[in-house]
Amino acid sequence: MTEAPEPLKPLKTWSHLAANRRRPSEYEIVSTNLHYSTDNPDAPWELDPNLHMQKWYRKYRNESTLKHEDWNAFRDPHAQVYRTYNLLQDGQEQHVKSLLDQFSDRGHDQLLDAGWFDVLLKLYTPSRYAFHALQMGSAYVAQMAPSSTITNCATFQTGDCLRWLSHTAYRTRELSMASPATGFGEKERQIWENDPVWQGFRELLEKTLVAWDWGEAFAALNLVAKPAVEEALLEQLGKSARANDDTLLGLITQAQMQDAKRHRDWAAALVKMALTVDGNKAVLKGHIDKYMPLAQKAVEAYASALPGLDNAAEEALAGVRTFHNALDLA
Amino acid sequence: MTLLKREDWYDLTRATNWTPKYVSEDELFPEEMSGARGIPMEKWETYDEPYKVTYPEYVSTQREKDAGAYSVKAALERSRFLDNADPGWISTMQAHYGAIALAEYAASTAEARMCRFSKAPGNRNMATFGMLDEVRHGQAQLYFPHSYTRRNRQWDWAHKALHTNEWGAIAARHFFDDMMMTRDAIGVSIMLTFAFETGFTNMQFLGLAADAAEVGDHTFASLISSIQTDESRHAQQGGPALKILIENGKKKDAQQMVDVAFWRAWKLFSVLTGPIMDYYTPLEGRKLSFKEFMLEWIVAQFERQILDLGLDRPWYWDEFMRALDETHHGMHLGVWYWRPTVWWNPSAGVTPEERDWLEEKYPGWNDTWGQCWDVIIDNLKNGKPELTGPETLPVVCNMSNIPIVGTPGNGWNVKDYQLEHEGRLYHFGSEPDRWCFQVDPERYKGHLNFIDRFLAGHVQPPDLMGGLKYMGLAPGEMGDDAHNYEWMSKYAKAAS
Ligand SMILES: [Fe+2]
Ligand SMILES: [Fe+2]
Repeated sequence: MTEAPEPLKPLKTWSHLAANRRRPSEYEIVSTNLHYSTDNPDAPWELDPNLHMQKWYRKYRNESTLKHEDWNAFRDPHAQVYRTYNLLQDGQEQHVKSLLDQFSDRGHDQLLDAGWFDVLLKLYTPSRYAFHALQMGSAYVAQMAPSSTITNCATFQTGDCLRWLSHTAYRTRELSMASPATGFGEKERQIWENDPVWQGFRELLEKTLVAWDWGEAFAALNLVAKPAVEEALLEQLGKSARANDDTLLGLITQAQMQDAKRHRDWAAALVKMALTVDGNKAVLKGHIDKYMPLAQKAVEAYASALPGLDNAAEEALAGVRTFHNALDLA
Repeated sequence: MTLLKREDWYDLTRATNWTPKYVSEDELFPEEMSGARGIPMEKWETYDEPYKVTYPEYVSTQREKDAGAYSVKAALERSRFLDNADPGWISTMQAHYGAIALAEYAASTAEARMCRFSKAPGNRNMATFGMLDEVRHGQAQLYFPHSYTRRNRQWDWAHKALHTNEWGAIAARHFFDDMMMTRDAIGVSIMLTFAFETGFTNMQFLGLAADAAEVGDHTFASLISSIQTDESRHAQQGGPALKILIENGKKKDAQQMVDVAFWRAWKLFSVLTGPIMDYYTPLEGRKLSFKEFMLEWIVAQFERQILDLGLDRPWYWDEFMRALDETHHGMHLGVWYWRPTVWWNPSAGVTPEERDWLEEKYPGWNDTWGQCWDVIIDNLKNGKPELTGPETLPVVCNMSNIPIVGTPGNGWNVKDYQLEHEGRLYHFGSEPDRWCFQVDPERYKGHLNFIDRFLAGHVQPPDLMGGLKYMGLAPGEMGDDAHNYEWMSKYAKAAS
């Protein structure tokens, strides 16, 4: 018999954070190392090792071409936790609510040009499909990400995409009341599925949604499809709206861009972390090169249809490229 | 104020199905992930979630809920409740947090499965809130116990438990992974949200909150009852999916998913919640017995919901009702006996007064379970504590991954339900456990429970110390009697 070892001493924090010299923040206490399914790479789930979902997670997460020894070291630059997410977004929603309220009181929609209703039906209200696709794509990244700190960013992003979709839905109903004959709330699916202005985005988003490798899904969504949607459907559409006296839409898209900026911040931080590992640059560049031509087509088809703007497509693509340039992927 | 009402625009938020063109529908919604079971997309569009909430409503309500729960914690921090709390209640919290916090967080992934892969647009939006909810539950149930880590190393297990191969952690993962992590979207909606959350989270979060309030732990009570308000919302995702399955001739599938998830949830609760409610919680804090809580939350409410939806009672209902009197007593005895193998200090809960309570709630207790405790009490009285702890390993069920128990003493009925499948012999704690395996052996057949691993040589050295090391338990973490056997004084006095 060996001597019984000394009892473990209590710690000031979780044992997995105890080696850090700094006192852990609330963010670290509640966000780090929460996925138990990454503990055993051979069997993510505590069941038969050959089950379909085991293979899915082994192949598309554990054996992703995007590699890092310790994804758990990832930190959200905004250190967002659930509690602060709601604080932030409840405040943001109060802002949007007061916009909707004030503009409605002032009869904003009654003052819109009749032709502008047709533009909105064609280029704005079908956006709920695009935003919803981003919501679905974010939920995929959330369920496949190899660390909880990445999952959380993608989870809050999923919520934000539902937020954008909700704004569109709300405005769609208001517009249908202001202009019952236009077809708001009725024709969007048909337009999304058939109008040439949307087919580029539809193709980009459908293909992004079937990128199963988690690294590819992240890159396709957060580095290409989402920024492209944001530059075209938030930035450029917002600009076009302002140029056509639709002040409300301009303000809503501005509010949504705040979320988009946060999403780009965490995506950039993740890319930065990935680039510390040899080989990841080529992998990420490969993903971007694969989806960028689709994004380009999408943005060109959509943005060149925006009235009142001269270089909307170029500007939108420049916006995506500016984001890429800051990622140090060249 | 001219804002639209929710019902004016809500439907547009869930008019989001489109026909894919650049990839096929089967690529966009792979059957193994979506689980549409051949029911066409338009049918899934009739999915109507009974609990409707919009994004702005969600962030506003949730902000308030968190403000409430966190401010109760802050306000009561100085009351030093824990300094004076009964050790049995501390064990209750430690068992709860370790088994629950990371599992709740994992449920966020299950919600994300529905959000991405369900063909029902309403399901995808509700699951978005569900994803957020489960992040909340994971994070809050880490934040609260974290303030206790300085007291005792066992609190570390609020975060650590599910990362280990401790037997209870294996059992919890096996259950949660089966029900929520490895199922298609519709499977998740039925097994996690309908079968588990509708019934059982009420037990854990409202039943336990009632006990917490009785023992004066208002921080814990307010936290878990606040969590339950989210559960009762997102638990309603399963009902409309069940309805669509039944309307489209898939009742058999639906029934089977409910029956498997329900039985498995019951077994996990028999080892986690049963002992907590009937033995760890101080006598004066026991609002109802475990069985009474089960009858209230599960039998009365859940059974009615099953029937209302057009499903049948699970085929094993009689066996379930019978087991309500029995299983958790055996689980408790086993956990206390193998106490070094858990991350909390099990409370024996068998003082003469507690035994009176047990006898009243479970007539015949003294003649069965009581007889085992009599032996333990005699050994402690006679200065032979070594006889009250483990030397051998229990037989562990290949489904529930918890020991196989039955009624001892005068009601002896312990039985190992065996099954040979493809040359391997499996052991089960009950007929329904064996049935769960038989309806889908591919899910389970290659899994090794703790005993299988021990026999396969994974546990080295192959003894108790090796076992504890394998389970990640060191002195300072492993359990011992919660009250340091002080309860024995009542028996010593009685004898002298
Ligand atoms: Fe939960
Ligand atoms: Fe839940």
